[in-house]
Amino acid sequence: MVLEPLLGPEGRTEFLLGNEAVARGIYEAGVSVASTYPGTPSSEIGDVLYRTSAQMGIKFEYCTNEKVALEVAAAASAGGLRSFVFMKHVGLNVAMDSFVSLSGSGVKGGMVVLSADDPSMHSSQNEQDNRFLGKFAKVIVVEPSSPQELKDFILYAFDLSEEVGHPVLVRSVTRISHIRAPVRLGKAREKNSWGYRRNTSYVLMPENAYAAQASIADRIERAASSRFREAFDSSYGESPTLIITSGAAYNYIDEALEMLNVRARILKIGMSFPLNRERVMEEIGKAQRVVFVEEGGPFIEEQVLALCALNSIKKEFYGKMNGFVPTSYEMDVDRTAGFLSKIFGIEMDVKKDESIVPRREPVLCPGCPHRATYYVARMAMKQAGIRNPIAPTDIGCYTLGYYEPYQLGDFCLSMGSSVGSSSGFAMNSTEKVVSFIGDSTFFHAGIPALVNAYHNNHNFVLVIMDNSVTAMTGGQPTPETSPPFRRVDIESVVRGIGIKNVFVMDPYDLKNSLETFKKALRSDDLAVVISRRECALEADRKRSPADAKVFTINQDKCNQCYNCVKNFSCAAFYTEDGKVYIDGELCDGCSVCSEPLVCPFNAIEVKD
Amino acid sequence: MVSIVFAGVGGQGVITVAIMVGRAAVAEGKNALMTELHGMAQRGGRISVEVRIGDYKSAIIPTGSADALVAFEELEAVRNISKLKEGGIVLLNRRRIHPVSMTIRLQNYPEDIVEERLGRVNKVDVDADQVALNLGNKKVANTVMIGALYSTGILGINEESLVSAMKESLPEKHWAVNMQAFEEGKKLTGLSVANIA
Repeated sequence: MVLEPLLGPEGRTEFLLGNEAVARGIYEAGVSVASTYPGTPSSEIGDVLYRTSAQMGIKFEYCTNEKVALEVAAAASAGGLRSFVFMKHVGLNVAMDSFVSLSGSGVKGGMVVLSADDPSMHSSQNEQDNRFLGKFAKVIVVEPSSPQELKDFILYAFDLSEEVGHPVLVRSVTRISHIRAPVRLGKAREKNSWGYRRNTSYVLMPENAYAAQASIADRIERAASSRFREAFDSSYGESPTLIITSGAAYNYIDEALEMLNVRARILKIGMSFPLNRERVMEEIGKAQRVVFVEEGGPFIEEQVLALCALNSIKKEFYGKMNGFVPTSYEMDVDRTAGFLSKIFGIEMDVKKDESIVPRREPVLCPGCPHRATYYVARMAMKQAGIRNPIAPTDIGCYTLGYYEPYQLGDFCLSMGSSVGSSSGFAMNSTEKVVSFIGDSTFFHAGIPALVNAYHNNHNFVLVIMDNSVTAMTGGQPTPETSPPFRRVDIESVVRGIGIKNVFVMDPYDLKNSLETFKKALRSDDLAVVISRRECALEADRKRSPADAKVFTINQDKCNQCYNCVKNFSCAAFYTEDGKVYIDGELCDGCSVCSEPLVCPFNAIEVKD
Repeated sequence: MVSIVFAGVGGQGVITVAIMVGRAAVAEGKNALMTELHGMAQRGGRISVEVRIGDYKSAIIPTGSADALVAFEELEAVRNISKLKEGGIVLLNRRRIHPVSMTIRLQNYPEDIVEERLGRVNKVDVDADQVALNLGNKKVANTVMIGALYSTGILGINEESLVSAMKESLPEKHWAVNMQAFEEGKKLTGLSVANIA
């Protein structure tokens, strides 16, 4: 029997992913409504809720973007329910407009926003530290260090939020959300009942917003002196050196100190805005020198230094602001020991491995329809005489089209930016603009930009790579997924804007796709190509193993033209001593490489 | 206290194996930490998972301190070798997955780098893919690796805990073949738990 550890009874200890602990945490906290737009490193929270929310009594939904998700949760909270919205760090930028206002409106049912930041950018375009966004929006900020704390802090955060009537931002990072550790399960609380009443603070027109400003300051002060503040912070150790730390950075300090054979007193901050000022000042008063170890920016450091300045306290300070602690990338024991050794004045051997290991770039999966789309796009542009296309791309698996051999990815800022930037390129450049976006990203932020392009008479080709799933984050549904949801049809949306040049193709059919793509390139007005084929991983999940085929190279027919490896470049191909082979373990059996447009010698055959 | 790096390529079941080890440790009341990285690619990207059992707070293993490196792919073994401590053991599945950037340039698999770098460490070859194929299910290669890892004795976990962690993670119809794979894996290293422990 495959167990569902997240629904286990109180008292059990399970080996949980941080994100799974979050899902259990909101269940225990009595949350009624949860919403998100999928984004790594927060995606698994949604994967779990999608599977178990009905049993948890939680109304959970995937929303078209993070702003919508935040608004869904905010309304539930206004009606007295506990609500939860979660996203990756850059998702909070999308939700920011409503997020900032939310602190003015305040909340009724406890409301927690979780941001999973990605220091070192394992799967993101930046490593922004969203604690700063929390403070900017005047929202309470808490930062757990482990999966157990993720769950515990979420419970405290809901209690605190409901007590002071203010939203709480929980900041996780990759190395907490994607850590597994023992997590002790607790009891699920009763849920609040719905009881919506009108309130002037919910409508932030100038008059109400003016009054709300004063109440924000009051709620933040109440949080600073709340009984819950003791639940978040902790300290231990005896030493004249005080290390103030938080979040994932905390996890590396004990081992680094041990490595260096030195001691320090540790103040681990769990609620970093507003700070527990009395406690911080008391700790600093006892210390000779203070070291700040945080992941991200100098968030706690800035606040503490400001407090010290106001209280005329002078100590030796070491942190990011005077260059002792690095300001970029995630921490680990090695790095922490490295900068602590300098602060403590200890010589340290740095072990360096000099071997050069060939890179293994992330690649499109075998069978991926995006590969076929990029192959056709390249070929069509070549045949149409387009030598230097400008190819804005977007956020999704297809961003991998940036890599060789396709090299179709010139500009990418954020979700939906392919379409907006295409207007900017098309308005100014004489080169053809051909841009790429996925279905989920199109719904997320591409539609307003496409309306803009049509309305303002911009001429470019937009390729919507429609694989009917949010693939890169693990296959979450999109607005096209049905049933039980209603399907939104991309072609109808595009035609509804008024765009006439709309072409639909199946990228697995290379010959017809090539002709279709060339037509789109020839059109003298804004054109949209919808390249529609289900994600290969999704198709595999549905296919019976009996239907699986594997392809092989007939070496007698292979002419070693290398078109398959150099231009189509499926990850299942490899070469040894000039001969081309297909790795049978990797081949998806999609058969696209056996089409004459990839192998004119018909050398790629089904393996018996 | 034990630290193990699991390395391979997306799609090989590296994460699944590491979870089973961690679950087994937690079932025995031990502290276990595991860190996994999800890159951009769903399949075919490099994967490394670090597992530590014992009184640790950092899931990330410091350089040069892993007791074992369990590699599902040869080049990925080399990529993660700097984590291994002096005298640590490498369990190497003899599987080669060619990086696409090398294939585009018609380059052979970088065999010499693998042999040169792994030749200097305490390495045991484990032909997990072949064993799995002989058992008639290539998907159990990762269970073969668990058996091999168990046989080194470094886990400090009981066989029963590992077996029940596997059963909890698998549908019942797959139990039998996975138990066989585990038993086969145990024989592959030529080591025995009793001798080491």
